[in-house]
Amino acid sequence: MSRRIVVDPITRIEGHLRIEVEIQDGKIVDAYSSGTMVRGFELILKGRDPRDAWAFTERACGVCTTVHALASVRTVEDALGISVPPNAELIRNLMFCAQYIQDHVVHFYHLHALDWVDVVSALKADPKKTSEIAQSISNWPKSSPKYFSDVQKRLTAFVNSGQLGIFANGYWGHSAYKLPAEVNLLGVAHYLEALEWQKEIVKVHTIFGGKNPHPNYLVGGVPCAINVDEASALNAERLAMVGKLFDDAQEFVEKVYLPDLLAVAGFYKDWGAIGGGLPNYLAFGDLPTNGYNNPASFKFPRGAILNRDLSKVYEVDGKDPLQVEEFVSHSWYEYAEGNDKGKHPWVGETKLNYTGPKPPYEQLNVDQKYSWLKTPRWKGNAMEVGPLARLLVAYASGREDVKDAVTGALKALNVPVTALFSTLGRTAARGIETKLIAVWAKEFYQQLLTNIKNGDTRTFNNEKWEPETWPAEAKGVGLSEAPRGALAHWIVIKDRKIENYQLVVPSTWNASPRDPKGQRSAYEASLIGTPVKNPDQPLEILRTIHSFDPCIACAVH
Amino acid sequence: MEQRAFGRVYVWQLPVRFYHWINALAVSALAITGYLIGAPLAIQSGSEASFSYWFGTVRFIHFLSAFVFFFNFIFRLYWGFAGNQYANWRNFIPTTKKQYTEILDVLRVDILQARIKPLGSIGHNTLAGVTYFVTFLAFLFQSVTGLGMYSAMSDASLPRLFSWIVPLMGGDFAVRQWHHVMMWLFIVFTMIHVYLVFYHDYVEGRGVTSSMVGGWKFIEKESSHLK
Amino acid sequence: MGDRRLTMWENMELRGYSRRDFLQFAGWMAACAGIHVTGLGQVVKAMETKPRLPVVWFHFQECTCCSESFIRSSHPIVSDIVLDKISLDYTETLQAAAGHQAEEALHNTMKKYKGEYLMLVEGSVPTEEGGVYCCIGGRTALDIVTEAAEGAKAIVAWGSCASNGCIQAAKPNPTGATPIHKILSGKTIINVPGCPPIAEVMAGTIVHLLAFDRVPQLDGLGRPKAFYSRRVHDSCYRRPNYDAGLFVESFDDENARRGYCLYKVGCRGPVTYNSCGIIRWNNGVGYPIQSGHGCIGCSEANFWDNGPFYQHLASFPGFGIETTADKVGVALGAVTAAGIAAHAITTNIRKRKLINGEIKKQETTHSKGGA
Ligand code: HEM
Ligand code: HEM
Ligand code: NFV
Ligand code: SF4
Ligand code: SF4
Ligand code: F3S
Ligand SMILES: [Mg+2]
Repeated sequence: MSRRIVVDPITRIEGHLRIEVEIQDGKIVDAYSSGTMVRGFELILKGRDPRDAWAFTERACGVCTTVHALASVRTVEDALGISVPPNAELIRNLMFCAQYIQDHVVHFYHLHALDWVDVVSALKADPKKTSEIAQSISNWPKSSPKYFSDVQKRLTAFVNSGQLGIFANGYWGHSAYKLPAEVNLLGVAHYLEALEWQKEIVKVHTIFGGKNPHPNYLVGGVPCAINVDEASALNAERLAMVGKLFDDAQEFVEKVYLPDLLAVAGFYKDWGAIGGGLPNYLAFGDLPTNGYNNPASFKFPRGAILNRDLSKVYEVDGKDPLQVEEFVSHSWYEYAEGNDKGKHPWVGETKLNYTGPKPPYEQLNVDQKYSWLKTPRWKGNAMEVGPLARLLVAYASGREDVKDAVTGALKALNVPVTALFSTLGRTAARGIETKLIAVWAKEFYQQLLTNIKNGDTRTFNNEKWEPETWPAEAKGVGLSEAPRGALAHWIVIKDRKIENYQLVVPSTWNASPRDPKGQRSAYEASLIGTPVKNPDQPLEILRTIHSFDPCIACAVH
Repeated sequence: MEQRAFGRVYVWQLPVRFYHWINALAVSALAITGYLIGAPLAIQSGSEASFSYWFGTVRFIHFLSAFVFFFNFIFRLYWGFAGNQYANWRNFIPTTKKQYTEILDVLRVDILQARIKPLGSIGHNTLAGVTYFVTFLAFLFQSVTGLGMYSAMSDASLPRLFSWIVPLMGGDFAVRQWHHVMMWLFIVFTMIHVYLVFYHDYVEGRGVTSSMVGGWKFIEKESSHLK
Repeated sequence: MGDRRLTMWENMELRGYSRRDFLQFAGWMAACAGIHVTGLGQVVKAMETKPRLPVVWFHFQECTCCSESFIRSSHPIVSDIVLDKISLDYTETLQAAAGHQAEEALHNTMKKYKGEYLMLVEGSVPTEEGGVYCCIGGRTALDIVTEAAEGAKAIVAWGSCASNGCIQAAKPNPTGATPIHKILSGKTIINVPGCPPIAEVMAGTIVHLLAFDRVPQLDGLGRPKAFYSRRVHDSCYRRPNYDAGLFVESFDDENARRGYCLYKVGCRGPVTYNSCGIIRWNNGVGYPIQSGHGCIGCSEANFWDNGPFYQHLASFPGFGIETTADKVGVALGAVTAAGIAAHAITTNIRKRKLINGEIKKQETTHSKGGA
C-alpha cells in the first residue's frame, strides 16, 4: 500500500509550491508538483508600451530580480532590431553576475543549508574544533574559536528564550542529518554571516540600476550614463565601488561558500546518487561578449543535451515553432483549440480556468489539471534547466574553464562524473558556476574600464526609441539564463503596443505538471526513488526540491 | 417688421468688470505656465543649475496667478449675493420656465442661426449663464486639485485644507493628470466664449463686447427691464 | 526557561553585552526610528521590559521582493532583528519547517499569543472565483488572512502588493487582486508601499512598533509619516536642475551625462511619496534617479496603470499608448477653431442681408426717435 504525503507549503523557496507524493516501502514512487498562486502577468501586459515591459516582467520575481528585466529588454530589442552599445552589454553582464552571486549564496545558506545543517546540534559543538575545521578548509579570517563560541552563545540564548522563531518546528535531530556538531556550528555561523554579506554585492545593482531588488533597465541600453567628470554619472568613485564589491564577492565565494559547500557535501555523498530525475538538459546560454545575436561569444553556451549524452550538444532556436512549446493539459488554463496541443509562445494563450478542488482541500485531482504552471517542452522532451544544465552544456561544448572547475570539484569530493546527475550535483553545480562567474565579472569590469579609457562612453542607442520608428508589426524573443535556468520571453508587437507577451521561466520547465503524454517534468521525475525515512518529517523531499532552488512566482507569473 | 428703440442699461458693476479681466488674465497666465510645466522647453544649454531658475520662475508665476485666480473667484462668489441683479447667482442656475425657453431661443440663434425677437435677459442670456456656471465648477475643480497638489510642497494652512483631494482621486499622479486635462477645457471655453461674445454683439447689436469694459449694454426700449 | 520570554535587554545581557552597549544600541535604534532624544528613555524602558514580539509574516500574491528587500536592511541588520528583536514564527521564505510543521508553528503562535502577535503581510489577496488564485496548504489566502487578522495586535502591509494591489491589480486585474486594507475592514493597517519598500523603511517600521509599542503616525493613506510624507521630487538632488529648467531630453544625451533632471523622460518623482532621495537604497548607495532612470512611482497606488513610464502624462484612455492629454487637447482646440470659422462663415452668408437690413432699420429708429 502506498501512502500519499502532502507538503504544502514547501518553505524556504520563493512562491507557493505544493508537492504531493506517493510513498511505498520508504521510497517515493510517484510525485506531483503544483504551483498554487497565479497573478496573470501575460494578461496584464497586453496593450502596454513594449518599452515598459521590463518593469512589469521584472516583478515576476524579487528573488531573481533583474533577470526578467534583462530577458524583456532583449525581447523588445530583438523585435525592433536594436543593438545595444558595448558598454551597455558589459553593464548588463555585471548586473547579471552580481545577481547570480547573491542569489546562489542566499540559496545555499538560507534556503538550502537547513536541509543539511542541524541547527540544534550546533549547540553541542566544541567551538575550538569548529575553528580548526574552518581553518583547515579556508583562510577566511573570521574563524577563531572566540568567533564560533560567540555565535554559539548567541544561539544558546536564542534557543533558551523559548521562542525559536524561524527555527521552530524544524526537523532537528532527524536521522538524515549527518554532519558532526562542529560542522553544524560552522554552518550556523556562516548562515548569519552570509545573511549580512549578501546585502553588499547587490549594491552593484544600486549603482547601475538605482536599487535592489528591482533595478531599472532600458530598452536600447542601460539608463546610467558614463561621465568620469561628473558627480551624478558613472565616474571613478562609482566604478571603484563596483570593482571592490566584486573583489569582496570573489573572496567570499572562494573562501566561504565553496569550502562550506564541499565540506558539507563530503558528508552527504550518498545524495550523489539520489534525485537525478530527467536525463535531458537545456540551456539558452548567456553573458554575451560580442552581442546578443552572436551566441558563440557567450560565456554560458546555448544548447541541449539528451539522455545524458555529453558527446552531443543540440542546437536550440527560440524562433523555431517546433522547438519550444507549452502545454496546458494538466494546468488550470484553456487553449482555444483544445488543451492537448502544444503552442509556441508567439502564438501562446493565457486564459485562467480553475478546475481544481474547492478550497479548503486535502488533495488535488492529479489525474486532471493540478497546477498554475504551464508545461514547457523542447521538441517534445521534458528538460531540466538550471546550473547543472548550464555546466553540462558548457562542459559538453568543450569550454575549458568550465571543465576545469567541474573536474576540480569532483576531485575534491572524490566522486565520479555521474554524481553530477543528482540532488548533490545540482547543489554543487550552483557553487561551481558561482566561482566561474566571480572570475568572469572581473573580466567584464576590466573591459568596461578599458572602453571608457579609450573614450567610448555610450550606454544607450536611441535610434529606435520613438515608437514612430517602429514597424506596424514585429516579433521578438529574448533568450537568457536566470539563476534557476533557461529563461525566455516572447513578444508580438502590433500598432506599437504589446499584442502578446509570453514568459517561459526556468522554474516553469522544472516544476511543471505532466504533459499530455504523461511525461513528468524535472521536480516530479527527480523525486521518484527518493528515500523518505519518516513520512511525517519530509526532510528528504525538501532536499531534492530545494536543490532546484524553486521559484514559483516566477514559474507561474 | 417692428421698430426697435435702444436704451442704455448699466449691467456690469465695476467689481464684476474687475473680476472678469483679472480672471481672464490669470487664466491665460495659468494656462500658459501650466502648459510649460507639463511640457517644458528643451534648453540644451550646458549651464550650471545655479545660474538659472527659469523653470522655477514659470512655476512661481503659475502659483502666483493661481492665488490671484483663486481669491478673485472667491470674491465673485460673494458678489453673486452682494452684487446687482445681473451679477446675482440666479442668473447662473436656471429655475424658471422662462429661463428654460430662453435657453432654447439662444440655441436657435446660435446653432440654427434663426432670427428671433430680442432675448428677455439683459445680463447673461440663460444659456451663457449656465455655461458660466459650468465654468465656475471647473474653476472650483482646478482650484481644489491645484491646491491639493500644492499642499505637498507647502506648510501654509490654505493649501492644507485641500490635501484630501489627493487620496480621493487616487494619488498625485491622477490629480495632476486631471488638472492638466482641465487646462484644455479652459482653452476651448475661451475660444468659444470670445467668439460668441462677438457673434451675439453682431446679431443683437446690444454692445455686448464693450459692456465688459464700460458696464453698459444697449437694450431695446420696449423691453420690460428698461426703466 | 519555560514560557517566559526574555526581554530584549535580558537577551543582550545573555549574549555578553554590557549595559553601556545596550543603552548605545537603544539610542541608535531610536535614532533610526526617527525618535527625538527626549523619547529615548521610553525606548530603553520598552526594550528592558518586553519579551521578543511574536511575528507572523504571510506571503500571498507577491514576488517576494519585499522579503528580499527586508533582508538587505543594514540598520538594524536583519539577523539582529530576526534573532534578537522579534520572534519570526512564520515566514515561508525563511523558516526551517515545511508543510504541516510550518502550519503548526503558525497556529501555535496564533493561539498562544492571541491579541499579541504582529502580523505582516506581503502580497495581495485574490478575491475572484472564491480566492482560488492563491492557496496555501489547501486554504485560500482570503481565508488565512481573515483568520489571522482576528488575533493580531497590529497589521503591516508590506509593499505595494499588500497596500495597493500592485502589478497583479493592474488592468485588467485578472484575479481580483485586492490590497489587505480593503479586506480587513475596521483594523488599523500600516501601509508600507513601494515595489519593494526600502529595507530600512521596513526595518524602521518594525523598530517603531517595538520601541513604542504603538502604531507610528500615519497619513491619510495609512502610511507612516516618517517615511512617506515627502515627495521624491522634494528631496531629489537633481532638483536644482529642474528649477533651472535643465532637462534630460533623451537617455545618454549630453544632459543625461551631466546629471540633469529626468522629468521629461517620465520621472514620477513629482507625484511620488517615498524616502528614496533621503534614506536611499542599499545602505545609502543610490536610488533610481541617481543611476539615471526616472522614478516610476513604485510606491503610489495604480502606478502600473499610469504609464507609459517614459512619458510625463499617462496615455489617454482609448487613444493608444502615445496619445497624451495634450495631443487630444490640441486636436480639440483645432476642431473648435474650425467650428468657429465655419460658424462665422455661415453666419455671414446666411444672415448678412438680414442683419444688414436690421441694423439699418435700427439706425433709422435711433436717429428718428432719439434716445
Ligand atoms: C485655470 C486654471 C489653471 C490651469 C489652466 C492650470 C493648468 C495647469 C497645468 C497644465 C499644469 C501642468 C500639469 C502637468 O502636466 O503636470 C499645472 C500644474 C500645477 N498647477 Fe495649475 N492650473 C490652473 C489653476 C491652478 C490653481 C488654482 C492652482 C492652485 C494652487 C494650481 C496649482 C498647480 C500646481 C501645484 C501644479 C503642479 C506644479 C508643479 O508641481 O510643478 N493650478 N496647472
Ligand atoms: C478678449 C477676451 C474676452 C472678452 C471680450 C470677454 C467678454 C465677455 C463679456 C462681454 C461677458 C459678458 C457676456 C454676457 O453678457 O453673458 C463675459 C462674461 C464672462 N467671461 Fe469673458 N471675455 C473674454 C475672455 C474671457 C476669459 C479668458 C475668461 C476665462 C476663462 C472669461 C470668462 C468669463 C466669465 C466667467 C464671464 C461671466 C462673468 C460673470 O458674470 O461673472 N472671459 N466675457
Ligand atoms: N524560475 C525562476 Fe526566476 C530565476 N532564476 C527566473 O527567471 O526565480 Ni524567481
Ligand atoms: S510590492 Fe512589488 S516588490 Fe513587493 S512583492 Fe509586490 S511586486 Fe514584489
Ligand atoms: S529627477 Fe525627477 S524627482 Fe528629481 S527633480 Fe527631476 S523630476 Fe524631480
Ligand atoms: S520608482 Fe520607487 S524606488 Fe523610489 S525613486 Fe521612485 S519610489
Ligand atoms: Mg508563461
